[in-house]
Amino acid sequence: MPSTHDESAILATDLRKSYGSEVALDSLTLDIPHGTVYGFLGPNGAGKTTTMRLLTGLSDPDSGSVRICGVNPSDRRAIAGRVGYLPETPPLYDEFSAREQLEYVADLRDISRSVAHERIGEYLDQFGLAGDADRRIDGYSKGMKQKTAFIQSVLHEPDVLYLDEPTSGLDPRAARTIRESITAFADAGTTVFLSTHILPVVEAVADEVGVLFDGRLVTEGTPTEVQARAETGESGSLEDAFLAVTSEPETDAASRRE
Amino acid sequence: MSVRQDVRHGLRIGRAEFVRSLRGYLGNPRRVLGLLLTALFFGGALLFALPTAYVLGQTARSVAAVPFFAPAATLVPLSLLSISVFRTLERLGHIDGADFVLLAVHPRAVVIGLITAEVGRLSLWFGIPVGAVVVTFALGMGSPLLVASGGAVALPLVCCAAVWGYAGGIAVLRLLRKLPSLRRLLKAVGILAMVGLVVASQFAGQFIVESDLSVQRLLSTVAFDPLVEYVALAFVGTPVSRPTSPEAVAVLAALLALTPVGLAVSTKQVSTLWFTDPVDNNESTQVRRSSGGFSAPRPFAWTKPGRIAWGILVRGRRDPAELSHLLIAVFFIAPFGTMFLEFSGDALGPLITGGGVVLATYLSGATFGLNPLGDERPQLPFLLLTETSSAALVRGRLLAGVVIGVPVAVLSSLVSIGFGILVLEAVVTAAVGVVMCLTAAMFAVGIGSAYPIYEEREFWGTETVVPSTLVMMVYLFVVGGGTVLGLFVTWFAVTGNVVLTPVFGVLFGTYLLLTVGVSYGSYRYALRRHRRYTLA
Repeated sequence: MPSTHDESAILATDLRKSYGSEVALDSLTLDIPHGTVYGFLGPNGAGKTTTMRLLTGLSDPDSGSVRICGVNPSDRRAIAGRVGYLPETPPLYDEFSAREQLEYVADLRDISRSVAHERIGEYLDQFGLAGDADRRIDGYSKGMKQKTAFIQSVLHEPDVLYLDEPTSGLDPRAARTIRESITAFADAGTTVFLSTHILPVVEAVADEVGVLFDGRLVTEGTPTEVQARAETGESGSLEDAFLAVTSEPETDAASRRE
Repeated sequence: MSVRQDVRHGLRIGRAEFVRSLRGYLGNPRRVLGLLLTALFFGGALLFALPTAYVLGQTARSVAAVPFFAPAATLVPLSLLSISVFRTLERLGHIDGADFVLLAVHPRAVVIGLITAEVGRLSLWFGIPVGAVVVTFALGMGSPLLVASGGAVALPLVCCAAVWGYAGGIAVLRLLRKLPSLRRLLKAVGILAMVGLVVASQFAGQFIVESDLSVQRLLSTVAFDPLVEYVALAFVGTPVSRPTSPEAVAVLAALLALTPVGLAVSTKQVSTLWFTDPVDNNESTQVRRSSGGFSAPRPFAWTKPGRIAWGILVRGRRDPAELSHLLIAVFFIAPFGTMFLEFSGDALGPLITGGGVVLATYLSGATFGLNPLGDERPQLPFLLLTETSSAALVRGRLLAGVVIGVPVAVLSSLVSIGFGILVLEAVVTAAVGVVMCLTAAMFAVGIGSAYPIYEEREFWGTETVVPSTLVMMVYLFVVGGGTVLGLFVTWFAVTGNVVLTPVFGVLFGTYLLLTVGVSYGSYRYALRRHRRYTLA
């Protein structure tokens, strides 16, 4: 169940990560309260996936610190039940059916059989996978895999949910189901850290938005604040704001990286 | 609590990984057929091993009298340790779905799971034949209890070897990550070492036969007495049992103590390996550039198949790891390496040119031709919708292989002139070699199209799509055998030793017909498969 303590859900201070001479993240500081849907935006190569890996503890920062619900992510036993992560490539086993996969996940998450059975049934119904639950995943479409992986990441009801392009490859109905699920999780107190390029999704669900550009957080606030700060005018959308704050020619940034 | 939890998670992971492997083995009927053929091939050995084991069991009067018991009791645990290190380097250094598993359970559970699954896989492959031999031996001895006591003795040994082998393998992986240049060096050295090992194995047999060296005496020098005493505990309760020695108890205690220590070391090692990023070696992030666009040189530029062939050659040159399947030939060609050293004088020249032509025909087909559909799988949706005909695509691939093989055939023939071959003999052999390269390449694209492999797999440390092992074996035997036959006829013909009789005419005609017919038929089949190919 979502945590109720007073610490921030995600607290990252001065995170820095470099790969050799290439700086992937520089001085990244985040303070995200519980129950927030945080839209994490940035062009390709901005460092979004690196940030997610640092915030989940799957990778160590060069400097800076991370606390997730007051827990250091390097404490794997303590962090395991608190976070759910849906990476861009769904971590599924092609040799399993969706039901086998989810039961396996439930087992590793120490969810009791009866609870797991109930939750898995509900989620499979909710995402329209019930009819295909016993088919092997290698025969699934990209959207079906994505939906299965989404269920897998939320099955243990984490406090913090990291989603990397969760609606990528989904049909409109499935994308809407995921959007609605994100909102429902946030209403129940789960913090959702949502990285995506699909800006309408962020506009629809995010309470706060952060834009990462070239390894630095260039703007942060509610979608309205970000739009106002970007001075895109009254008719300006989040897309206009995003383009404005990341308007430094990408070619320059790319050449710096090289 | 956490230990029990990790063990439970580990066993669950082990079961899941084992089931995944099993489903992978039995994934499609062709793979099952391949497994059945393998089982048939190696299972034949049991026909001889089982009666021998039974007789040995019947005649054993003491543990020491069991042939090769002492060296086997030492070498088998060492082999288990080596296998564990090797498999960790090859496969167990990571877990599929790491993003999920590593966030769900402790790394210790993952280590237990990976090792459990691997022990299960090895038991599946080797457990059945080894078990059959042990059971037969026990029955021969009249002590079925030996099967249970043998299992009880083996368990701590296997566990200890598995965890320490795993720890060693992960340590090597960490070292290789820190020193990428060492990885490249080891790869090259490893290949050379394997060739050397196969060649040396040929000498070893010959040396043992020709010298008065006693194998028994040689092996007895590697026996480690405390380990032998421990393994002898398996015979407790049988007619040949001997008193339990303090050394045996000490080894058992050491195994029981070292296993959890090995697990702790392994867990610490993997935590560092999995949760730290690769050390930048200035290569992983290096941007490689190619200037000048795609312009094939002449004569490749003249035709479309030529340009396609050039594209295939360029890709092969830039990513040679894709050609790692060629190394399988080492196992077949290396044994003949001793012939080069044994033969001298007049025989060396023909051997060089012959060996060169055999290698050339192998390369012509095997380099690019044994998995044409699988190699092109990611590009097929594009290729099939272009105006380029299937014939051009197949010929391009065929030509790319021939371009690799023909120079080898010609050069080896030219070099052999320096070893006493007449110019005429060298020219004729080279010409025959060139034709054989073409027929081999045509044959390859056909059998390669019949059994395409699309999935990437780890092969010699590289994640790549490799042709089916069955296809490679068939190709090696058919092309190798055909080439050797053709070379004999060519050699006898150019040296004037062929007697033209009706029988020779019929046999040679049949050979030619088969060579040309099978190759052309295979090529036509490849065209047909390309033309009718539909994406699954």
